[in-house]
Amino acid sequence: MQTQLKNWQKMTPVGRMFHYLGIFILKRKLGQFIALFFRTVASLFDSSHNFKSDSRNIILQTFFTGVEIFVPLFIVATLFGTVVIINVITLMGKMGFSDIVGNLMVVVIIRELSPILTAFLIAGRTGSSLTTYIGSMVINSEVDALATMGINPIRYLVMPSVIGGTIATIIMNIIFSASAIGAGFLVTKCAIYIIGIFPNLQMIIGNAPNLQISWNYLSTEIIKALTVSDFVFTIIKPLVFGIIITINACYQAMNIKRDIRQVPKATSRSVITSFLYIVFADVVLSLLNFISYMKNLSTII
Amino acid sequence: MLDEALKLEDVYLSTSELSGTQFSIPRAVSYFENIRASESNEDFQLIAGANLTLKLGETICIGGPSGKGKSAILRMIAGLARPLKGHIYYFGEYIPAERLTALEVAKRQVGYVLQNAALISNLRVVDNIALPLRYHKMGTNEEITKKVNMAMDLMRVRDFAKMFPHELSVGMQKRVAIARSWAMDPKLLLMDEPTAGLDNYNRRNLLPLIDNMRTMFKTSIIIVTHDLMIAKELDCNLVFLHKKKLTEPHSFDYWLRSDNEISKDQFRDLQSNEKF
Repeated sequence: MQTQLKNWQKMTPVGRMFHYLGIFILKRKLGQFIALFFRTVASLFDSSHNFKSDSRNIILQTFFTGVEIFVPLFIVATLFGTVVIINVITLMGKMGFSDIVGNLMVVVIIRELSPILTAFLIAGRTGSSLTTYIGSMVINSEVDALATMGINPIRYLVMPSVIGGTIATIIMNIIFSASAIGAGFLVTKCAIYIIGIFPNLQMIIGNAPNLQISWNYLSTEIIKALTVSDFVFTIIKPLVFGIIITINACYQAMNIKRDIRQVPKATSRSVITSFLYIVFADVVLSLLNFISYMKNLSTII
Repeated sequence: MLDEALKLEDVYLSTSELSGTQFSIPRAVSYFENIRASESNEDFQLIAGANLTLKLGETICIGGPSGKGKSAILRMIAGLARPLKGHIYYFGEYIPAERLTALEVAKRQVGYVLQNAALISNLRVVDNIALPLRYHKMGTNEEITKKVNMAMDLMRVRDFAKMFPHELSVGMQKRVAIARSWAMDPKLLLMDEPTAGLDNYNRRNLLPLIDNMRTMFKTSIIIVTHDLMIAKELDCNLVFLHKKKLTEPHSFDYWLRSDNEISKDQFRDLQSNEKF
């Protein structure tokens, strides 16, 4: 009698190696996280789909993630922009480097501060609300009901949130950079003007009102310092962060084990792990800056 | 042409399969091969070696004491939980365990009425019933509206069409859920406690509806219930979940008159009533 071969016995040694690697990865949380991402991408090519409901969900998610977060994001951006501009200007007074102003502004605001802070704000708001929303659906077995109706929950719930959230993150990142520099400059000017009104304050602050900072100077310096890689990173960083936030939120929600008390736990876990993953991803993306640095180095030598 | 709608062959199910959704945790192909269901951790086995055959157009009621895995069997048939071992055939077609998902099962026109109706809570009753029809584009807008209205009329929820699920009572939610499943024209319908939470009037209305589906649309139906009188009124066979296995299907009267352990447990009241 011929014994039935199991799946792994049918494979070639190389195939078996990949098979065990796959099992190893899928048992890890990070592996399942990445698997959910790939399933989301795969769900874009599902045979059963409804463009109308998908596009509506995507627009709703973009609106929710982007528009409703605008006010807190604008305030945070303006204040952080002010802080950075004041620090850079005072630093210039000490060191006397006038060239470095534009470079510092670009590196601090456009490259680092803006994507990270936007991602943190969106993780705190959209990530947590997504986890609660999908988590409650899992507990009420609405996700099961969707699946038994032949509607892929990954396509219906996860995919629109990922796409909408990512689009909103990219747009909000650009708005953050713009308002940090523009509104930050205005607030700095106002601060300098207010200090100028009260002469008594000058005793403490010194000759700060004498700082001559003009929009002309600041904008030309920043535009001079901008490179192509900065423009690329303004798109790539929020793209990666947006995907991380939304996929992580959905992953944490889908894993809730039918216990209502797990929802708040999953929500906090989703936000904290999002922060962690974002910082890790930021480090990895920052390493790419070395490439341009090395290129410059070879031209100098 | 095969005449069986569903066949379970020596199926094992573990309790650990019931937690969470299967959409987050993917399972590697070999996961199901490496488990020897018959030998490993017997405590977690909910169902061990169940067999069932359901013919096309046949109706079966599954009874048994609560907490013994009746609903779990339905979840497994609907593809929401995967068996550790064994074969499940839908309309004669075998789906291996690694491909057995709810989506794959739903493609074969299997409807499922969950125990807690599970209506989508941000959609009105009309949209809830129309959701699968619109999503799968089953007909034009007028056809869908007509179908939804018909389903609502059948389950008498037309008056609550514009309400949200949280404004309805449990029984009404259940009727909406049944209407939602009915609107999709399932070939095999799984119902989890359809009469729980319904008053006598609506229960009496539901039973002819099930009977109609059976005769007019040739729908095969599996009903999990504690209300064993359904089996008598629908004149269908009863199966019991006993010692982790499914018994042979027999008629209501057979179980009533027989003298085995299950009959003594489940039909004691009815048997004693009959003597008088």
